[in-house]
Amino acid sequence: MAGKLNRRQFLIRSGMAGAGALSLPALLAACGGDEGGSGGGGGNSLFFENWPLYIDEETVKVFQEASGVSLKYTEAYNDNNEYFAKVQPSLSKGDKIDPDVIAPTFWMAARYVQLGWAQKLPVDKIPNIANLRDDLKGQPWDKDQEYNLPWQTGVAGIAYNMKTTGRELKSVEDLFAPEFKGKIGLLTEMRDTMGLVLMGLGKNISKLSTFDEAAEAFDKVEKAKNDGQIRAFTGNDYVDDLSAGNFAACVAWSGDVLQLTKDNPDVRFVIPEEGGTNWFDTMIWVKGSENSDAVAKWMDYVYDPVNAAKITAYVQYMSPVKGVQDELVKMGGEAAPLAEDPLLFPDEATVARLQSWGALSEEEEAKFDEAFAAITGA
Amino acid sequence: MNATARLATVASRPERVGLGVMVTLSLGVIALGAGWVAGPSAAVVAAAMLATVVGLVSVAFVGGLETRRALAPYGLLKPGILWLSLFFLAPLWSMVVMSLSSKESRFDFFPSFTWEWDNYRIALTDFRPQFLRSFGYAAVATLLTILIGFPLAYVIAFRGGRYRNILLGLVVIPFFTSYLIRTLAWGNILADEGPVVSIIDGLGLQGAFESLNIMDNGKLLNTPAAVIGGLTYNFLPFMVLPIYVSLEKIDPHLIDAAMDLYSSASAAFRRIVVPLALPGIFAGSLLVFIPAAGDFVNAQFLGNPQTTMVGNSIQDQFLRQLNYPVASAMSFVLMFIITIAVLVYTKFMGTEDLA
Repeated sequence: MAGKLNRRQFLIRSGMAGAGALSLPALLAACGGDEGGSGGGGGNSLFFENWPLYIDEETVKVFQEASGVSLKYTEAYNDNNEYFAKVQPSLSKGDKIDPDVIAPTFWMAARYVQLGWAQKLPVDKIPNIANLRDDLKGQPWDKDQEYNLPWQTGVAGIAYNMKTTGRELKSVEDLFAPEFKGKIGLLTEMRDTMGLVLMGLGKNISKLSTFDEAAEAFDKVEKAKNDGQIRAFTGNDYVDDLSAGNFAACVAWSGDVLQLTKDNPDVRFVIPEEGGTNWFDTMIWVKGSENSDAVAKWMDYVYDPVNAAKITAYVQYMSPVKGVQDELVKMGGEAAPLAEDPLLFPDEATVARLQSWGALSEEEEAKFDEAFAAITGA
Repeated sequence: MNATARLATVASRPERVGLGVMVTLSLGVIALGAGWVAGPSAAVVAAAMLATVVGLVSVAFVGGLETRRALAPYGLLKPGILWLSLFFLAPLWSMVVMSLSSKESRFDFFPSFTWEWDNYRIALTDFRPQFLRSFGYAAVATLLTILIGFPLAYVIAFRGGRYRNILLGLVVIPFFTSYLIRTLAWGNILADEGPVVSIIDGLGLQGAFESLNIMDNGKLLNTPAAVIGGLTYNFLPFMVLPIYVSLEKIDPHLIDAAMDLYSSASAAFRRIVVPLALPGIFAGSLLVFIPAAGDFVNAQFLGNPQTTMVGNSIQDQFLRQLNYPVASAMSFVLMFIITIAVLVYTKFMGTEDLA
């Protein structure tokens, strides 16, 4: 591994630490201390809680100097469900939480919006919102783009270690190949794992609305688990298992593998021929926060392609901002080749293979989650 | 005058005063801690508790030396009792209430108490494999820690000589490192292309390990054996230390005496050393079995989806599924079973020697 800790390596460690701390601090934090914090105040301060190493080292500082907003940027957002568990006692009582802006993945953002825990963004004051990629606009749960702005987007596909597999992989079926028995990893993120399996069965996940339509895929994964095909359901720690050769192949996120391949050329990423799942992490403005000016300034700043390109060059995920590709070329140096990277800027044929999950009703989503929890065995 | 006289009467029965105050205070603490009372009524409870303390002080003041002497034991008990009331009984009560509550919808964050016994049915049926696995793994790990820990403690106690303390230190030192880091390190050691597997392969022992069910399809990591191994490793000192303490107290002359009376070495070991070490084994078993049964770290990092233990399930229900009622029921069942198991074990092994 390279000397500098990259985003995912960091995630692995903090994920473990999170699990090891028994999430006690999270529970404690959820129990009290909801008042006060950096909120309130004359609208010139902002608290953004994001996923770890999901921003370059300059942006926060430069933004503060340019805008005069004092930005508190933390990286305590580690897991959608756990973060939700942490903040729900406060938000469900109508209390504030400390952060003004948080970064849930799209389906979780939809939940915040549906529960009324997200505020309408000060869209008028964010002219750069015009730079939002068209394909991300107008989600079913946010048709008028009032509640969320995507932070970064990516693809879940299959990563494999050539040394262990001995061959190139192309299909979702490869995850179920008997030759890889006990060497397959799946993600605990239900939508990414089940999305791929469903596409492997020829389903269109953007059109799924009931669990019954998806039951077949759950049976398939359950059978694979019982047969010992699946070695582990992991979070970000799949990266270590993959490079160590414990996993021959696993469901993986594009940006991770991009970074990993640099250190270990045997590790490769493929968007299966049946398709890959599109996902994006959002920025939403949490209910109770009053810093609308600062929120607008921040979102406008990161939706400027010049600034967005700097973030992309570091995090290596797909930017939701139009014009980043040109800016990367202008930046030159190490950033320029990224503009050509098919995983950052996929061609049309690839884009056609990507699908994103449609919105699920509360009841159906519960069925999906419960069925998945029953399989992961936890 | 009258009031003082009444106080003096009360003070003539100091035991009742001491007990009464203790019970009142701990009930008050539980009521506040478990959230039975809030707002103005909480203030009333707090005031009542304060009044009780004032009353106690007055009684002690009026009652004289004898009364104060009789009150002292209750005074000494109070910090412990109150601490337990606030941090054990109050949460336990909340948990029991939660385990019998139900949610109206998935995002109903304030489950209401409805005598929902179904939570216990779910805990016992849906999660039966996890419960059985937890107790099975914990039992095997406990046995293994005895098998590994007893000889180790024996050597340190009887053959350690002046290096005893250093040897004990060596047992304990690795455990200054975080539990989690040690477990993760085992992940690297047991990895498919890690040192252990390559040594086994090099010696051609893979077949033997597979037939013993220690290895599975060429892998050592992410198997039941790895989970049990992790538990054994992580809890070993909790077995070694109590056994060492028991052994260390044994007067070597007892063994000499046995030998003088023509006992064989093995009979002396069986009939003198082992029985005297039993309290240590007993204490060690409890210290290993109880946390091991509730552990989830080893299963998470060394196991596979078919080795999940009940701790993993409880964590998942609490933190990912947000199903507090079922998670509470599971926690309570786990506690209950462990308590019963410990009581039976105590009955069987006897604890008199522990004192």
